[in-house]
Amino acid sequence: MEFICIGVSHRTAPLGIRERLALPEARQTEVLQRLAQAPVEALWVSTCNRVEVYLAAPSAEQARERARETLRSLGGEEALEHLYEHQGEAALVHLFRVASSLDSMVLGEAQILGQVKDAFERGQGAGAVRGELTRACAAAFGCAKRVRTETAVGRAATSMASAAVQLASKVFDGLKDKTVLVVGAGEMGELAARHLMNAGAGKLVVTNRTLSRAEALVAEVGGVARPFEELFTLLLSADVVVTSTASPVPLFTRENVGALGKARRGRPLFMVDLAVPRDIDPAVGTLDWVHAYDVDDIQKFVADNAAQRAEEAHKAGGLVAQEVARFARERALREGMPVLARLRQRAEGIARAEVERTLLGLGDGLTDKQRKSIEAMGRAIVNKLLHEPTARLRAVGPQGEGNRLAGAAAELFGLTEEEAAAIAPEPTSESLTNPVVATGSRR
Amino acid sequence: MSHTLVSLACHAYGLAALVYLSYLVRQSQVLAVSGRVLVGTGLLMHCVALIEMLGAQGGRLVGPAQGMSAFAFLLLALFLALDVRYRKPVIGAFLTPLAVAVLLIGMLLHGGPAPLPAAVRQPLLPVHVTIALLGMTAFGVAAGVGVMYLLMERQVKTKHFGLLFARLPSLEFLDTLNRRLVVWGFIALSLTLATGALFVSTVPGLAWNFDAKQVATFVAWGVFAALVNARIFAGWRGRRVALLTMAGFCLVLVSFLSSYDLSAAGPGMP
Repeated sequence: MEFICIGVSHRTAPLGIRERLALPEARQTEVLQRLAQAPVEALWVSTCNRVEVYLAAPSAEQARERARETLRSLGGEEALEHLYEHQGEAALVHLFRVASSLDSMVLGEAQILGQVKDAFERGQGAGAVRGELTRACAAAFGCAKRVRTETAVGRAATSMASAAVQLASKVFDGLKDKTVLVVGAGEMGELAARHLMNAGAGKLVVTNRTLSRAEALVAEVGGVARPFEELFTLLLSADVVVTSTASPVPLFTRENVGALGKARRGRPLFMVDLAVPRDIDPAVGTLDWVHAYDVDDIQKFVADNAAQRAEEAHKAGGLVAQEVARFARERALREGMPVLARLRQRAEGIARAEVERTLLGLGDGLTDKQRKSIEAMGRAIVNKLLHEPTARLRAVGPQGEGNRLAGAAAELFGLTEEEAAAIAPEPTSESLTNPVVATGSRR
Repeated sequence: MSHTLVSLACHAYGLAALVYLSYLVRQSQVLAVSGRVLVGTGLLMHCVALIEMLGAQGGRLVGPAQGMSAFAFLLLALFLALDVRYRKPVIGAFLTPLAVAVLLIGMLLHGGPAPLPAAVRQPLLPVHVTIALLGMTAFGVAAGVGVMYLLMERQVKTKHFGLLFARLPSLEFLDTLNRRLVVWGFIALSLTLATGALFVSTVPGLAWNFDAKQVATFVAWGVFAALVNARIFAGWRGRRVALLTMAGFCLVLVSFLSSYDLSAAGPGMP
């Protein structure tokens, strides 16, 4: 089976083309079923930045033509001009990179993995994703997990609101016992409120010149709405302030904020100004206990983070290469040497049956330790007996000499094709909740 | 035997310092664990050496070299405890080099104990010295944390999003840790003063002569008493507190070094 990937993304196609190819779920299922006629398998990944078809097929040419034809019928001739194609290992690398968010517009953003998982589940539901693509997806999800835990690619903030949360974490040791005051319930205020609540803010207070807008926002994200007239009373108890009003003059000056210093007893205040023109006079930041950031500061922080992400993405690229190589190795072994698996299964079956028979014969007089010793002995005999043939078959590989040896072993031990069906069952979507298990032993 | 063990411990601490400095540049779990293992191994060897030496000297530390060695040991023991409790290996990048410096300076210092009346050599003396060393350790770590606070505050205030900004713990964490350490250090310093006063008032030959040691200790106690009170009653925190902690720690160090006659030849490490 050969892997193929054909699609368009933010790198190759304008939004208009991507929109034409973005299908509702019901249409996706229909297209998948048309593409994935056994033994061909198909996965349709569709996000706002990409539409891609992954295929596993015995004939790459035929499958590619069918996929191109489908994409042409959906997006027109123009869509074909923006297509990119990957085949074989390059297609796998692309899938792994997409799942690991290394091909995203915002490097390391977390949503893409969920979107690929959704696509995978839809594919399984439609019967279009079976053995090959299931294993490839499982390995890609495992790789994404590794990239997320072993590199910092997903840790840096790249939006204003998430940057505000990250900056707050440099002043406060967590937000769970902190009061967050959001001044202005516009789009920016709403985003900031959501991010801060998601970051575990203890208490959210929203104030707005039109109280009803503040009330509408807290109804959605939680917290309390207070009248704008209480602004400075609210400031007294706030730890974090995010402001984004349309005020033409600064709301917060060194004088009116500084006047609260005594009453706050030096308690630090972290202020983020997302408004243009500014709501916070720059002189406020000169107060010892105030840490004030405006839009320019945050943009600088985001830009620095983007550079850090690019560096981490380079590191993550190495991990993807390792994971793809491991997957390819396992695949070659699985495809080329079913005899080995059949032989082991046969031997393990015999050993298990003999151990059970022996234990039954010995009755209840055995201790747990003795039972375990007998079971271990059965397993050890199988492992030691099969170690040499396994090592030899692996050493020569699936081609040529390997085929000859495998054939001889099958003949000698009378291994039938039927036995192969019971070996290496295809992973299910449930098993992918733990991709490390689904993809076999690794580290 | 003791010398070999301390020398090995010193090497382990030196390596740990390099590992923690690397951690500052490249945050990796492997480096954090390696640093922890190196410090733990060094502490184990150092502990054996100290026990052996104390056993041979009737439970007393003799000379500045041994005092510094015990101080370095306690600094790193406290750091390890904090690292296990709070999982902030980056603190190691500041404390392990400090401990190595203390240990090395101790090796270079020659001197013996300041002349003390024989009556002072009573069982209360090791208690007095131990409490004093524990207090100095708490202040030492608090001063290190204070340095980190000042660096981090500078990054936050100047909006310089560099390496230190990314690596150092939050200002609140550093300030809270400083507060806890200073409170414990202050309790230990007060007990040290109380036991010291007991010696002066009960042992013939000792008097309130207001030498460098006594003055430095009193001033340090005053600084830390003011600091603890300002924190509790006036809400002091942050930079002022970090600076005062560092100043107080310097006074405690002067007091500690004044306990020794640095012109005399004395026993060396550990």
